[in-house]
Amino acid sequence: MNIEMSAKYIIGIDLGTTNSALAYAALDTEKPGVTLLPIPQLVAPATVENRDLLPSFLYLAPKIEAASGAYDLPWATDREFAVGEMARRQSAELPERTVGAAKSWLCHSRVDRHQAILPWGAGDDVAKVSPVTAARRYLEHLVAAWHDAFPNDPIARQEVVLTVPASFDASARELTREAASLAGLPDGVVFLEEPQAAVYSWLTAMGDRWRKVMKVGDTLLVCDVGGGTTDLTLVGVAEEGGELVLKRLAVGNHLLVGGDNMDLALAHHVAGLFAKKGVTLDPWQSVSLWHSCRMAKETLLSPEGPKKHPVSVLGRGSKLIGGTVTVDVPRDSTIDLLVNGFFPKCAVADRPARQRASGFQELGLPYEADTAVTKHLAGFLQSHGPSDGEPIRPTHVLFNGGVFKADAMRTRLLDVLKGWFPETAPQPLEGTHDLDYAVARGAAYYGWAKVNGGVRIRGGAARSYYIGIESAGLAIPGAPRPLRALCVVPFGMEEGTELDVPSDSIGLIVGQPAHFRFFSSSTRKDDREGVRLQRWTDEELTETDSLEATLPKDDALDDNYVPVQFHTKITELGLLELWCVSTRGSGRWKLEFSVRDDAEPA
Amino acid sequence: MGRVFTAFRAFFGSLFNAETAARVEQALKGEGLPAPQPLVAPPTPELKPIEVKRPEPKKPTQSEAITLLATLQREARLVDFLKEDLSGYADEQVGAAARAIQRDSAKVLERFFALQPVVADEEGARVNVPAGFDAARYRLTGKVTGDAPFAGTLQHHGWEATKCELPQFTGSDSAAKTVAPAEVEIG
Repeated sequence: MNIEMSAKYIIGIDLGTTNSALAYAALDTEKPGVTLLPIPQLVAPATVENRDLLPSFLYLAPKIEAASGAYDLPWATDREFAVGEMARRQSAELPERTVGAAKSWLCHSRVDRHQAILPWGAGDDVAKVSPVTAARRYLEHLVAAWHDAFPNDPIARQEVVLTVPASFDASARELTREAASLAGLPDGVVFLEEPQAAVYSWLTAMGDRWRKVMKVGDTLLVCDVGGGTTDLTLVGVAEEGGELVLKRLAVGNHLLVGGDNMDLALAHHVAGLFAKKGVTLDPWQSVSLWHSCRMAKETLLSPEGPKKHPVSVLGRGSKLIGGTVTVDVPRDSTIDLLVNGFFPKCAVADRPARQRASGFQELGLPYEADTAVTKHLAGFLQSHGPSDGEPIRPTHVLFNGGVFKADAMRTRLLDVLKGWFPETAPQPLEGTHDLDYAVARGAAYYGWAKVNGGVRIRGGAARSYYIGIESAGLAIPGAPRPLRALCVVPFGMEEGTELDVPSDSIGLIVGQPAHFRFFSSSTRKDDREGVRLQRWTDEELTETDSLEATLPKDDALDDNYVPVQFHTKITELGLLELWCVSTRGSGRWKLEFSVRDDAEPA
Repeated sequence: MGRVFTAFRAFFGSLFNAETAARVEQALKGEGLPAPQPLVAPPTPELKPIEVKRPEPKKPTQSEAITLLATLQREARLVDFLKEDLSGYADEQVGAAARAIQRDSAKVLERFFALQPVVADEEGARVNVPAGFDAARYRLTGKVTGDAPFAGTLQHHGWEATKCELPQFTGSDSAAKTVAPAEVEIG
């Protein structure tokens, strides 16, 4: 039966760094009615509650705890881990057993993302998991929540859109796809960049009125500051065949700074206030302080917030009043700390401070050395300007992420932009903004519009990609051969297209894996396929996971090596495929990211 | 009389109906009567696979009152607060703790019950109590004479739950009565 096979729902999944969400819409409707799915999750041992957000945390329980069935869910028994709100709480008290920020690990190419390395720094008694497995667990939970609510509409038969940060490169996307497929999502899951999803959410809320708000030549800056990451994107408005069309112009790098940094900064500040009163907080109280500061931040930063707000940390034992300590946190110093600390006024020519190697640097996630979001924004606008030294000027700003619930943050960012472009200050987009759920909702809307028709943002590849090739020549002992970068994917290459990369033939040895270094650039937009770069700066090209291909020994081939050229394809689902094509025969071999050495068993 | 009537029935029945005759014959011979043929064939029962239902172990349950208490304790430390002897503390100390407990308890109430006033008007306003009002939703005080509708001053706007969504308990029998586990820091 055909009808049964075709999808009934479009499902949008926001797999966030700190929170995930699922929104869905029926496909056979005239207008997209997007709804959030309540997600049953453990909020405490043996206590399951519905929440709209699933915190992206994974708690790995000791065997003895797990045996009691305390982590069972309506759909699963004998669980040795927990995902969601309870895991988030545990992350503060039992960091050694809790995985957080798995998504940022997914795009951290200095570690093997299939190795069981999380929680980072945990002892050997913890059954660690890989970043891919952690992402899989979150997605599995969402899939199970869907099946719990819609037992007759298996998710494998629905249309699914999964959002990824715009800053995810090809290998991080590939790893996400792997986690999605292990979690039981359909093979045809479509990837959508998060800031674009936020734009779709706005478009849905506006209906056709958006055409009155934006006009040809306008540029929209999407500034998405989530719990753990900051994602920047530029979307332009153009005209094609008399119709307004949206085009994604540029995306920023993966910036590890977000709302959690702000909570922590305030907690640190308040701990200092306690210290002045002679109160030293133990680790458990620090966790409680972090929680109190998150609440205090919302109160203090609200437009008519009080001049000062008491922050208390309750005593730990059952006698809580005697152990309770309190300080008054002034509004002025909080605004100063958070707004000036994270959105400082700066010039558009400013750049974020570079990462400094210090003695106590950990090998963990590469958190931003400079927490000034405005400086990162300045660098982003500069690198995508019409010419060197001239920044691109956005006409509109769309805010996304919980950080922008605070008026003070939005106002400051707009002020800074106004300082950079005094004549024509970028305007915030009108309309209501759902800062927490816009990405999931927008993903569902995008999927709906894909089937039923509606505005689409045209994008294509957000980066150009390069294969590193050692140049031939006389070898000099001790010196590496000079490396050239061959452009194999031009910026903006559209989904569903493929191309041959013109180049000299490259010889691949038969019967053993051939490795290629692989680079990407979000700023070199004019390199066409086949362009060879002799030199580049670290800022221009970022090295990502290497690629490899193994050519099987073939008796029909006389030689030990095969001359090949490259062929590039971007699938309709937004995944990049690179092929080596023999220039002598008909052989084709796919290049795979060499990150799958130690894939964990399912 | 009964026997005469039965005899007549047997006689005339046997005379005009072969089936009755056969049955009387059998009765006279003292044989068991075959079951009378029903006029309409009974519906053939559908062939169903026999379900072997394993008796499901009874799932442990938790009183929702305990679930609510446990949540208020976990998220707001309310039970600790209510159980504590306040006599040794200054009002300021109690106030400092109460602020945090009140804030977090209110969040739980909002999430589980989304409490709303029964009457939307400001307290102190003149309000009408309609004819046929629900006595569970209005409590009348003062001079109440005659029948509704009444008019009066709103003293308390009342509260009602607009939903009731408590967490689901999935634990064991021994966990069902735990409001807060004992905390032990190892090491």
